[in-house]
Amino acid sequence: MRAYFTTIWESVSTLITGMAITWRHMVNIRKGSVTLQYPEERWPRPERDIGFDQGEYNVIRSRLHVDMDDCIGCLKCERVCPVDCIKIETHRVDKGEDIPDVGHTGITSNGTKKALLVTRFDIDMTECCYCNLCTYPCPEECIYMTGGPNSEKHQIDYEFSQYDRNDMVYRFAKETSEEQVAIATGENGEKK
Amino acid sequence: MGVGSVKEVGPVQAEQMVLNIGPQHPSTHGVLRLKVKTDGEIVSEVIPYIGYLHRCFEKHAESITYEQVIPFTDRCDYIASMNNNFGYVVAMEELMDIKVPERVEYIRIIMAELNRIASHLLALGVYGLDVGAFTPFLHMFRDRERILDIFELTCGARLLYNYMWVGGVSHDLPRNFESICIDFLDYFEPNIPEFNELLTKNKIFIERTADVGVMPAEVAISYGVSGPNLRGSGVKWDVRRDEPYSIYNKFDFEIPVGTGEYGTLGDCWDRFWVRMLEMQESCKIIRQALKTIPEGGDVHAMVPKKIRPPKGSIYRRTESPRGDLGYYIISDGSEIPFRMKMRSPALTALSVLDEISAGWMISDVIAILGSLDIVLGEIDR
Repeated sequence: MRAYFTTIWESVSTLITGMAITWRHMVNIRKGSVTLQYPEERWPRPERDIGFDQGEYNVIRSRLHVDMDDCIGCLKCERVCPVDCIKIETHRVDKGEDIPDVGHTGITSNGTKKALLVTRFDIDMTECCYCNLCTYPCPEECIYMTGGPNSEKHQIDYEFSQYDRNDMVYRFAKETSEEQVAIATGENGEKK
Repeated sequence: MGVGSVKEVGPVQAEQMVLNIGPQHPSTHGVLRLKVKTDGEIVSEVIPYIGYLHRCFEKHAESITYEQVIPFTDRCDYIASMNNNFGYVVAMEELMDIKVPERVEYIRIIMAELNRIASHLLALGVYGLDVGAFTPFLHMFRDRERILDIFELTCGARLLYNYMWVGGVSHDLPRNFESICIDFLDYFEPNIPEFNELLTKNKIFIERTADVGVMPAEVAISYGVSGPNLRGSGVKWDVRRDEPYSIYNKFDFEIPVGTGEYGTLGDCWDRFWVRMLEMQESCKIIRQALKTIPEGGDVHAMVPKKIRPPKGSIYRRTESPRGDLGYYIISDGSEIPFRMKMRSPALTALSVLDEISAGWMISDVIAILGSLDIVLGEIDR
């Protein structure tokens, strides 16, 4: 008989304990601890104060972006990519000379003379694993996640979406025809 | 008809029913198929079929360079990526004989322990969900979210970090990290008693888990079970203390073990309780680390330009939230590993499932499986 009532007491008290906690949270509901109406409002991204230049420490993992005017076609980012989502094609041209026909500038903003014309620089963002490995070896710091060092020019873009899968392939190189490339590289321009 | 005729028929046996749980089942924590042989409601045999999430991690690692392996280790145990990175870099640094700066060691330990809390929060919350308690799950995910915010602040990613590199970490801590981390701990530690009130000490939960799925210490050891599952059986074994790696020997922390408080030693409740206590110990380690972390210095100082380890092999194990995580790396002196083997603690935990769940009911198998806290990404790799 005693055990019977003990069991009843235990089950009632354990329910009340749980309900009390839930009730406490419902009464003391803090401002803002409700569901956000996502597309209209969203959590702010954490502000990172590292005390260094943002250019050195890009912590944002968002869409990759390439400043093509600075790219020298060294293929370092292509080689380091663990999933091979970066595809680059280059052609040898006269070192450090502008080729206005194909929109090729000879010198990067860091002052490096470019010896290669980049005719293809595709990043397939459906394959990208956001490991950030490609942004480190770049000698010209021209590949980065948007919203990083050049955030004024390239706003952060981490919730990008497309209707077609092919639109997720971002082509950064300026479009060039084969004739244009042949002219730019000289008549017997050999492919590197 | 006498006694003799029964003998001729043989022992009476009801028809066994084979029941498939999974591969798409919310309680299998991933894509795991359990072939359960049942006699009525009583389970006589549980055969796990794995491989639905196999991504050839080990074979793939033989064709990519050492630094490219790290993003793939993230994806093995996707609940505790920091700890997976940690195991790999500890093994690689011992193979290459790199001494990392002290600040890096502290950062790594803070990150690994934060991720241990996040992993346990998920394990405990989902376990509550498995046995029918929905509210604790939301409470625990609310707190886990704050840890993920800290990770996002530190390295930009919320789940798959690629944070620890061979010889360093990818980003230094943000300047206001210490206050943010202390804020989180001050907020989180009082929540643990609330979880206990809400779930651990709940009578319904105790009835559901105590005495269920008892794993005696001998069974656990003979199957190679490690981590909280082993400690739940009362064995005081923790790689962090018994074979200290990194700088774990500098910190003062307890190793919680199961006591069989509400049932038998090594039951589901004990395994749950050990995880709950471990979160408190992790908080203690983080507080100590934040107090003594040295300032300044470049976190990239010891990162080698090219990772080209000398010929040889290494096996190093670390304590991940699921247990004893080991990496076996054979190097032939080139830039890509010759062979890479990952010893996953979740696989051994799954292998013991058949042994401890025979004789229990189907709904108890779900409770036992949840208490083992397996991650299929790590089992299949």
